[in-house]
Amino acid sequence: MARTSKLDLLQGTLDLLILRTLQTEPRHGWAISERIQQISRDVLQVNQGSLYPALHRLERQGWIKAETGISELGRRARFYRLTPAGRKQLEIETGDWARLAGAIGRVLEEA
Amino acid sequence: MTWRDLLHHRQAEENLAEEVEVHIELQTSKHLAAGLDPKEARCRARLEFGGIESTKENCREQRAGHLLENFFQDFQFAIRGMRREPALALAALVTLAICIGANTTIFSVVNTVLLRPLPYPEPDRLYWLSERMGKTQTDISLGADYYTLREQNRIFEDIAAWDGQVLNWAGREKAEQVIATQVTPSFFKVLGTRPLLGRSLLPDEQGPKAPAVVILNYGFWRSRLGSDPEAVGKAITLDGLPLTIVGVMPQGFDYPKGGQIWRPLDMDEASQRPIMTTRPMRLVSILARLKGGVDARQLDAEMARLRQAIYRQYPKGFVVSGFLNGMTLAATPLARRITGDLRPALLVLSGAVALVLLIASANLASLLLARAITRRRELAVRLALGSARGRIVRQVLTESLVLALPGGLAGTLAAFVSVAALNASKPFVLRNYPPITFDTFTLSFSLVLTLLTGLLFGLAPAWTAAGVGIQEALKTSGYAQTSGRRAVRLRRVLVIAELGLSLMLLIGVGLLGRSFVKLANVPLGFVPDNLLTLRFNLTGSRYAKAENQLQFYDDVLERIRRLPAVAQAAVATDLPLTGDHAYRGSTFQPAGRPPLPLAQQPMTAVAFVSRDFFRTLGIPLKTGRTFSRQDSIATPDNIVVNEAFAKQVFGNEDPVGKRILTSGGPPSGWTIVGVVGSIRANSLGVEPIPLVYHCNCQGGNPALTRMALFVKTTGDPTSMVRLIEDQIHSVDRNEPLTDVSTMDDRLTAALATPRFHLLLIGSFATVALLLAAIGVFGVVAYVVTQRTREIGIRMALGAGVAHVLRLILGESLGWVLVATIVGLGGAWALTRYLKSMLYGVTPLDSTTFILMPIVLAIAGLAASLAPVAKATRVDPARALREE
Repeated sequence: MARTSKLDLLQGTLDLLILRTLQTEPRHGWAISERIQQISRDVLQVNQGSLYPALHRLERQGWIKAETGISELGRRARFYRLTPAGRKQLEIETGDWARLAGAIGRVLEEA
Repeated sequence: MTWRDLLHHRQAEENLAEEVEVHIELQTSKHLAAGLDPKEARCRARLEFGGIESTKENCREQRAGHLLENFFQDFQFAIRGMRREPALALAALVTLAICIGANTTIFSVVNTVLLRPLPYPEPDRLYWLSERMGKTQTDISLGADYYTLREQNRIFEDIAAWDGQVLNWAGREKAEQVIATQVTPSFFKVLGTRPLLGRSLLPDEQGPKAPAVVILNYGFWRSRLGSDPEAVGKAITLDGLPLTIVGVMPQGFDYPKGGQIWRPLDMDEASQRPIMTTRPMRLVSILARLKGGVDARQLDAEMARLRQAIYRQYPKGFVVSGFLNGMTLAATPLARRITGDLRPALLVLSGAVALVLLIASANLASLLLARAITRRRELAVRLALGSARGRIVRQVLTESLVLALPGGLAGTLAAFVSVAALNASKPFVLRNYPPITFDTFTLSFSLVLTLLTGLLFGLAPAWTAAGVGIQEALKTSGYAQTSGRRAVRLRRVLVIAELGLSLMLLIGVGLLGRSFVKLANVPLGFVPDNLLTLRFNLTGSRYAKAENQLQFYDDVLERIRRLPAVAQAAVATDLPLTGDHAYRGSTFQPAGRPPLPLAQQPMTAVAFVSRDFFRTLGIPLKTGRTFSRQDSIATPDNIVVNEAFAKQVFGNEDPVGKRILTSGGPPSGWTIVGVVGSIRANSLGVEPIPLVYHCNCQGGNPALTRMALFVKTTGDPTSMVRLIEDQIHSVDRNEPLTDVSTMDDRLTAALATPRFHLLLIGSFATVALLLAAIGVFGVVAYVVTQRTREIGIRMALGAGVAHVLRLILGESLGWVLVATIVGLGGAWALTRYLKSMLYGVTPLDSTTFILMPIVLAIAGLAASLAPVAKATRVDPARALREE
């Protein structure tokens, strides 16, 4: 099933992406996965087997909070919302990521 | 948090299911919008999602407390499984109840007797000091050593000496003997215990001129003085002397065991360390308390130095004669010294009972393996649905724990009941020990043992469960399956282990059994029937002279003989089978032979008896004559010797008329007038040693205070006790009688300990063999079922019953053979620990080592019979049709 054009996510980056997609508004699991795929122009494929455990992990860490809402098809669904702690965590991780990406970029260009 | 999560378990599960469904629904609608038909859209959405169950499981693992949740799930599952298979649950319950019960009971005894610290402060600093000499390393401590040790000591806080004695007390209602301990004032300081009332001994309260003071133990103070709070300062008359009570020790202070009072030791340095070429042989016991922070190496070095100091004090003659060869100075931990005699037996029993538990575990493991083979498919399905292997292993282990728990609880209860029964019946071996307690330590031992056992017998099925191959298990259903083969191989190994361990126990019980039979059939050398025995204690001024003692014995014997139903009566210094050593020993040499240095002269035990002693005990006369009316104070030189003496000293010569010389004896020596048969004078297991008999009628010995009385009756001797006592009290109203017992009872008591060991180990071995046989039965039956088809083919091709028999029996005999090798090896390595419990049998006794494997083979064959019979009845036509 592997498609070469689509990249698997690095360990840990999925958490960052989830937090980022939730920054604007609460979403349910499917919407998060669609959003990541859409924004990355189908480069990043989210594996559901990782997505849902990651959501539950983030919830246990208190960075996101689940609440009941209604899905597009009119069914009860679990929407995840960023908590203040999650917002802080997102800032930290975004900063870390930027520094890492910058560093790798510089190495690739200059070394 | 965890508990709330558990309460919200159902809610969380619903949320999770809903979440997954919503996702797939949305994905389906996306595909629908893209123009797929509904069926394909849904199918696609599901495929894209991946393993639903494994995703769910991964989500659950993110929850707080999921481990506990898993455990509860496994626990419930296990209980449901047990309900489905009550036979397995019952088997586990019964075997474990027996095995854990037995282990816990033995442990409670070990805990009470061996592990419990002595009731003194910092008991691990208490040591018992002794010189050890010669090949046997017999322990002795001399009064002189005490002074030398005190003078040279650098590592002990304090050192004390003590010596036991028996005193007579007129008593409140009836005269009785009191066990007294003479101690140095340092005694109480070494043990670190303060008196309950009054004081202990003052530093100058020692030596022959010490004041007449006494300290009582708690039990004596309570039962004899009615816990009188004003006891201190009052007097108590012992051996006719008034002693002032200066203190009462608290409850639990009971060193040496059985001692009732303590009084100053009548020993002083001047008498024990004379400036002469002799060394007084006053025997005492020496106790010491080590200073804090002294380690074992320092102790060893210091003991070596102190040994030198003691060695130097022996006169040259001792060194030259080789008397001091191999002498060491030993410091034995006091706790070890106190429990010394029970220790090896308890360790052997613990080992034996642990073996039984191992066998039971192997058996349960084998049963679980049989189940694991049939459950392979269930496990494979769970694996295919996304269950992790680790999770499955955890579940299998949880199941075996759940299986072990009821048995463990029942076993703990059984142990509690057994301990109560032990305390109520007080078997002979435990008579000198405090009641066995069942404390929290024992309880935790039982619990931990249960859990360990559960894990142990769960390991085998867990291991095979980990090896289940999904595809294979789902495709095939047969014996050929890998994990199935693994399980069957493992079951064979377990059965062999069971048989091997059983053989070790069988050999142990065989050795004990043979040794018991030998001990029970030991020729006593005397007739124990209808023989009543007791001990006198003639002390005090009334019996200070030898003729007064002789008069007392004569009068008593005269009166008792006149009683109806009394055939004979006699007194003697030695009371056989009590473990008492012969009255005293002496070196000697036959007259007319070249003189030997003292240390090389042979030793003989010496006993004093009344004229009728040999007739009363039925000891046969070999040659010459025994004592008679012609022996009196006028003929002090006549002696009778036993056969062991005659054989060792004179070989085949006739000893009658020969003379022997002893230092301090008559210059012309003692004349042997007769030889009598040897008897087991000390204890059953000790071979007769050379023994010289003097007659108390020859007088001249003031030390015959503790003679024993022997009365041969024509009827039941126990009915005569009252009458005999009356006769004795008509001679001396204040004479206390102790140790009243028939010789038959003494014989029973002497055999009680080996019988107890034999009974215990015998029942362990029986349970072990039974379990192993059940194990063999189970595996043979399984093999027969698995091979029904093969047997059918063979029979169809013309194989007869004999062939089938060979096929299956060959297999179980093969196990017995391997197990025999393993078991013999184990027994060869371990039976040496039985040595102290054996009599007349070596730990590697070949008869036992040959006989017991045969017993094992018979048990193995018997267990295989039923399933093998089934194999021979296989109907080829049906066997081939099935499957």
